[in-house]
Parts: sequence; structure tokens; C-alpha cells
Amino acid sequence: MRSDAANCGGNCEDALERLEAYLDGELPDTDVADIASHLAACYPCTDRASFEEQLRAMVRRDCVETAPDSLIDRIRERLADPASR
Amino acid sequence: MTSSPDAAMSEAVSDGGSPRRQQLSEAERRARFEDEVMPQVDRLFSAALRYTRDRTDAEDLVQESLVKAYRSLHQYRPGTNLRAWLYRILHTTYISMYRKAQRRPQESLQEEIDDFSFYDEVVRSGGGSAEREVLGALTADEVKQALADLPETFRLAVYLADVEGFAYKEIAEIMDTPVGTVMSRLHRGRKALQKALSTYAHERGLIQDLDDPSAGDADDHEEDA
Ligand SMILES: [Zn+2]
Repeated sequence: MRSDAANCGGNCEDALERLEAYLDGELPDTDVADIASHLAACYPCTDRASFEEQLRAMVRRDCVETAPDSLIDRIRERLADPASR
Repeated sequence: MTSSPDAAMSEAVSDGGSPRRQQLSEAERRARFEDEVMPQVDRLFSAALRYTRDRTDAEDLVQESLVKAYRSLHQYRPGTNLRAWLYRILHTTYISMYRKAQRRPQESLQEEIDDFSFYDEVVRSGGGSAEREVLGALTADEVKQALADLPETFRLAVYLADVEGFAYKEIAEIMDTPVGTVMSRLHRGRKALQKALSTYAHERGLIQDLDDPSAGDADDHEEDA
């Protein structure tokens, strides 16, 4: 039970090795097709991939903030004053 | 004339010596800054918070970075990646304002982190739809804290990739480091982030402790039958 990779052979190991770069959109097109077709046929790998994607989406959503108005005002004031920029 | 030798040349030369460096009037500079840079302030502030982990420092960092960006706006080549350019300025400003003052050695991550898998832990402890529930139950504060607790270089790589969506090559340019280093920081940083989230999940009983003898008991699954 250590890893799902053991359940469906060498293809999984190969796909999981490249999964991170795949999700990052950093794989060459030929590799992308490989991984996509593996994921389409392999539930354990798809499930893992979607967990990773969900996690990234969470980080993206939770780390977005709004700059305080006072900061924006201060920036504009500084840029308007030739002596302070 | 889109592919004139001049255009190709200006792509190849570095910022400082570009023959197409623009002459901007003060009014043009102000207008371009308002149109193109100011809409990025929220994002830059979010990034600055992840860099400094302190609101006051983050405000100072954004302010200094934007004054620098304003001064060097003529060096930005229209049509190239404005966000990457701004984040590069934010990064170098951060280093000059904060890192040299700290003078502490770069923290690193334990070797064991490479073997960690949050997914495997969650699946082992519950299976089925459990993994979605665990992720859904983690709060924004926990996610921010987990990121804030990562050693700096890992934290920044993960932030720039996962929140800002920069490509490896762009992160390499922003952090002034080889692409291979970015990839390894990203890989290990994400693992460490997951490890921290998994610790929160354990503490809150969202996933069962593997050391607990009742955890993973076969009886747990029988109710589904
Ligand atoms: Zn597979």
C-alpha cells in the first residue's frame, strides 16, 4: 500500500516522475501527450494529480491580499514629489 | 518591418545599453505608470507579505520597489513581461533592504522531505473522498502560516510559481538563479508545505495519526459496505 505506483506498473512511476512539471506546464509537447494519455487511463494517477492541483489552487486563493489604501496614497504622493523619487 | 534587424538587436541587448531605450516625458511616465503598474499593486503587496512576513515591512518594500520601477520605467521594453520585470525589482529591493541586514545563513530543508506525500497520508487514513474534505477543511490562515514557515528561498519559489503562476525560467530570472535550482526549490518547497499542512490536519484530527493503533483499522471501512 506504500504507493499507488506499485499497483499499475512502470507507466505510473514514469508518469508520476514528470507529474510536477506537467502540472506546471513545463513539459515538451511530446511528453505532455504521454502523460495526458496515461492520466486518462489511470485512475490512481488522475486522483493524485487532481489532489495536487486542488492544493495549488488553495494556495493561490488564500495568498491573495489587497493593498491598503493608505499605501497607495503614499506611493502616489511620493511619485508626485520630484524630491522624493 | 516587424522583423527588422534593429528590433532583433534590441531584444538581444541588455536593458542598460538598449538603443531603443525610450525617452519619456514626465507626463508620459506618470500616465504609463498609472495605467500599467498601479493595477499590479495588490499583487505586489501580496508578494511582499510573503517575502517579509510583516505588514509594515511589506508596505515599505512595495513603496521602495515602485519608486525604483518608476525611475527605471524607460528601461522596460513594451511587449515584454511587465509582471516579471516588476517582480525582479521587488526581489532585488527585498535583498538590498532586508537580507543583508539579517546576515543569517540560508536555512535548508531536511533530506527526508523528499519522501513525504500528503496525498498518500490522506488516502491511507481515509480513502475515497477524504482527501477533498481534508483540503477543504484547512483554513486560509493555516495555508498562509505553512507558507510563511518555509525557509526563504523555498517560500519564494513556491509563491512565485503557485500563486503568481510564473514559469520556471521567469522565476530563475526573478531570483537570479539557475532553472535547475528553481526546480529543486519548488519540488522540495512544495513537499515541505504539504508536510506543514499535514501537521495541521493531524493536530485538528482531520486525518488520523498513523502511530495511533486504532488508525487505519480495517473496521473503519466496513460501515461503507
Ligand atoms: Zn498511473
